[in-house]
Order: sequence, then C-alpha cells, then structure tokens
Amino acid sequence: MAASVTRPALSSLCKINSNINGIYSLTSFSRRISISSVLSTSAVTTETEAAGRGVRGQRRSKRQAGEPRTERMTVDQDWTAVYPTAASFKPSAVPLPVRMGYPVKRGVPPAKKGNLELIKIPNFLHLTPVAIKKHCEALKQFCTEWPSALDSDEKCVKHFPIQVQSKEFVSAGLSLRNPDVRIVTLKVKLSSLNLDDHARKKMIKLSEERYCKDTDTLTITTDSCPLRQQNYDYAMYLLTVLYHESWKTEAWEQEKTRADMEEYEWEDSPSQKKVLDTLLRMRALGAKDEVEEGTREELLGQPAVQEYRDTMLRLKNEGETEENLQQYKEAVKKLFNI
Amino acid sequence: MAACVWSVRSVRVLSEIIHGHVLPAAAAVRHQAGTSRSLHGARAPAVSARHLKQLGVTSLRSLSQVSLSEEPDALYQKLSVRVKGHDRSVLDSFEFFASLAARELGLSLERAFEPRKHTEKLTLLKSVHIFKKHRVQYETRTHHRTIEISRVTGSSARVYLEYIQRNLPEGVAMEVTKTSVEEIPEHIQKPLWDEGKLEPCGQ
Repeated sequence: MAASVTRPALSSLCKINSNINGIYSLTSFSRRISISSVLSTSAVTTETEAAGRGVRGQRRSKRQAGEPRTERMTVDQDWTAVYPTAASFKPSAVPLPVRMGYPVKRGVPPAKKGNLELIKIPNFLHLTPVAIKKHCEALKQFCTEWPSALDSDEKCVKHFPIQVQSKEFVSAGLSLRNPDVRIVTLKVKLSSLNLDDHARKKMIKLSEERYCKDTDTLTITTDSCPLRQQNYDYAMYLLTVLYHESWKTEAWEQEKTRADMEEYEWEDSPSQKKVLDTLLRMRALGAKDEVEEGTREELLGQPAVQEYRDTMLRLKNEGETEENLQQYKEAVKKLFNI
Repeated sequence: MAACVWSVRSVRVLSEIIHGHVLPAAAAVRHQAGTSRSLHGARAPAVSARHLKQLGVTSLRSLSQVSLSEEPDALYQKLSVRVKGHDRSVLDSFEFFASLAARELGLSLERAFEPRKHTEKLTLLKSVHIFKKHRVQYETRTHHRTIEISRVTGSSARVYLEYIQRNLPEGVAMEVTKTSVEEIPEHIQKPLWDEGKLEPCGQ
C-alpha cells in the first residue's frame, strides 16, 4: 500500500510529460527529425530512451488486484455457478487451502497462489456430486429402461442368442480415427440354432477353428471391410451361408469314411466285430457253427454287450480317465463271465 | 416364448410414461424410418456442459421434445469402459465421477476395478558422443481403470457414453467394448431347402 501512495506523484509527472509530447508531436515532428539528423546517434537513442521510459513509467502504475473472490464466497453458495464447465484451477476462485508441489528443505509444499502444478493437473471442480446429479436429472429423459424380464445373463442369451462385440476409442492425437473400430465379433451357440444332427456336424466341420467345443460357441470375427456396419453385415452373411450350406447334403458326402467321423461310433466298428466274433466262438464251442442274423442281434442285445459298448464310447469320446478305465474293466469282466 | 419376445419400442413408450414424462402431443410424433435411432430431439444433438447449465437453472420444459423412432432399441449385455492415463489420481476421480453418473442415471454398475499398470522403459545413451557405458533410463507408466456396466439399452448407453466422453479429462484415453445381444434373424430360423426337393449340388 505504501508503494501505491508514492506512485501517483510519479505517474502524474509522467503523464504530463507524455501530454506535452503529444501536443507538440505533429508540429515539431519534422523539426525533431532535422535535429536528430544533425545530432549524433546517441542523442536519438536518449530521446527514444526517454520515450521508452515514459511508456514504461505509464506501465509501472499497474492496477492492483482486488481481494480474491474467495473472501466473498458464502458456505452455501451454488458451486456449479463458479465452475460450470471444465476450467483450469483459479486460486482466487477456489476457497480451499490447497498445497501442491515438492517442498523445499525443511519446508512445506508451495501454496496455491501462482502454483503451476495445480494448474497443470486436470481438475474435477466442475464435476462435484451436486453438479453430476443436476446433469443426470437433465439427461434422464433420454434414457430408456431395460426390460425387466431379462434380469440375468442366462435369460438374455436364451432369448437373444447372438452376441455382437465391437469397440469404440476416444483419444487425443494427430488423428481421431482408430482402425480397430471396424472389427466386429459375432458369437452364437450352435445349440440355439435350428440344426439337425448332420447339419450340426457339417457346420462344425465348415467353421474349423472358429468353433469352440467346450462352450459350443461359434465365433466369427470380421475386419476385412473398412466400416463397422459393413463388417457386421458380412458376419451375418457368413452365418447365414454356413447355416444354409450345412443343411444341404452333397453327393460327395456319401464318401465319408470312419476317419472323417467326429465321434467314435460303435456300430460297424472293429471293436463290435471282435466282440461278436469272440462271443460266437465262446458259444460255438458247444453249439452249431451257423451265424444267423437273429443270433447276431440277440448277441448284441445282451446287457453285457450294451455295457461294453457304452464304456467303449466313453473311452473313445471323452478320453481315458481312471473312472472310465475302471468301468471298461468291469464291462469286460462281465462280458467274459470272469 | 411369444410373451418373452420384447418389442422394446413399446417398452420404451411405457417407460416414458412411468418416468412421469408425459410427452406433449407434438413431441410424440414419431420420426420417419429414415432417421437415426437416437432419442435426441432436433434441439439437443449434443448435451454440452453449457447447455446443461441452462437446464440446471431453468426448468426442463425447454427440452420436452423427446421423439421416438421406429427402430427397436439395441440391447447391450455388457458395456466395458476402460480408461488409460499417466496419473492414478486423475483416474481415481474419473472413476468416482463415472460410477456416480451411472448410479444417477439408473444403470447397473457391475464392477469397477484397476487392471495392472503398463510400464514402458527406455534406455538411452547419456552423452551425445561416446561414453557407451553411461546410459540414462526413462519409463512411461500407463495406469488403467475399467468400469463394467451390465444390461443397458442402446439409448441409455449412448447418453451415458456421450456424457462420460465429453467430461474426459486431458491426457486420458478411453476404450469402450460393447456386447450387444440380438435375436436370430428370420432367414436363419429355418433351412431354405425342403426335405423333399434339394437344390442342385454346387458344381
């Protein structure tokens, strides 16, 4: 405040100076130039220096900043009016005694006035809970409710079997675009599609790696088209084609061999022939040597043979586990009456 | 099954009434099929913060033109929002903001967790010329935060995502993974070929 008392005197002097200069500027301009041309450069510089000092002198009487806004803030004010949108930290507008920065030796972090660290970091002063609630009140009318019947994931998948996944990106950089946005992943469970046995096997064969046996899910990922909508249409097209092609039976499908089968089938397998053979030999020790269709069906219909068939199927299809092997052992023992 | 197949459009109309927003007759006029399936009226294409401020001060009567479109609303089984930044405290604040916004808008927030941070290290020569033994190391740390929202409709997802994205702080990136559920389309429900007459086999 002491500085401001002495300043006016000087400033008034300087102002008078400049006024004089102003009055005589037009008339004496040419005279000044002629004088300057006669005089040495130092004189010119002194004049310009004087002029500069005059301007700087004017600038020295800076308007003092008043008291910060925080002094006049009440406790129950509307904060959303102080920071309605995202803005940098203004120490005179935030009534909090915030300190930030690395402290000097045996000191404390610097105060908020003129603190660059506080200005650099993004602040959420415009997103206080009150502000968020206000915003959401206004946005609520654009929201729609989720159907209450689909309250669990299982129900969702049951009624809406196809799942489509896509991504969106928000980032700052030289370009706003992200090429990964176009990728679309379509997942569907084959059990939810209308397929019969042959169609299901053919569909699995056609999809190769895209089918997962454990979850019975067909996953189609498309990224060959430049737009997401195009990739989605392409994925749906692939699904449609797979579905309809799998229902078709081509002529060459008759040539399917045992090696192409997905599951082990006991009918017409070497195992079945061996069992029949063994049983016939066991029987034929005492009875006739004829092999009739009737006896064949009879033999196959025996419960021991059926049990052996079940254990064989389990071993081949599910793999060899302790349990399976035990059951196989029991079935063989029953078959041969051991 | 017929009872459970939702025409979501009708549900939406019902929800509008339930929420107490009785639409004026003019606003209830449906858009033609050519328009997009957003619920935003022509007046509010983007909900900017300044616009929201006006809403906060004045009444909501100015935004009563909510129009419905013929297209059914999308259904998202899961909405996964992943934010990445260099400062953990900024992501903390953003998580607080996003979860509060989800709660206020009535969305079911499943979980909000912090995946592992990713550190990228760089070893460079300290000196401009020679001194190969003296290096300097820099590292860039990227922190992540994931917020998962389950079972949300397309319109609500749009509103929430736009609100979140407009208030994304500087230096933070976002990745949104949407999983939408759909019905099996009509052309896949039955095979084209009748059992009696098969199409001629492909050549």
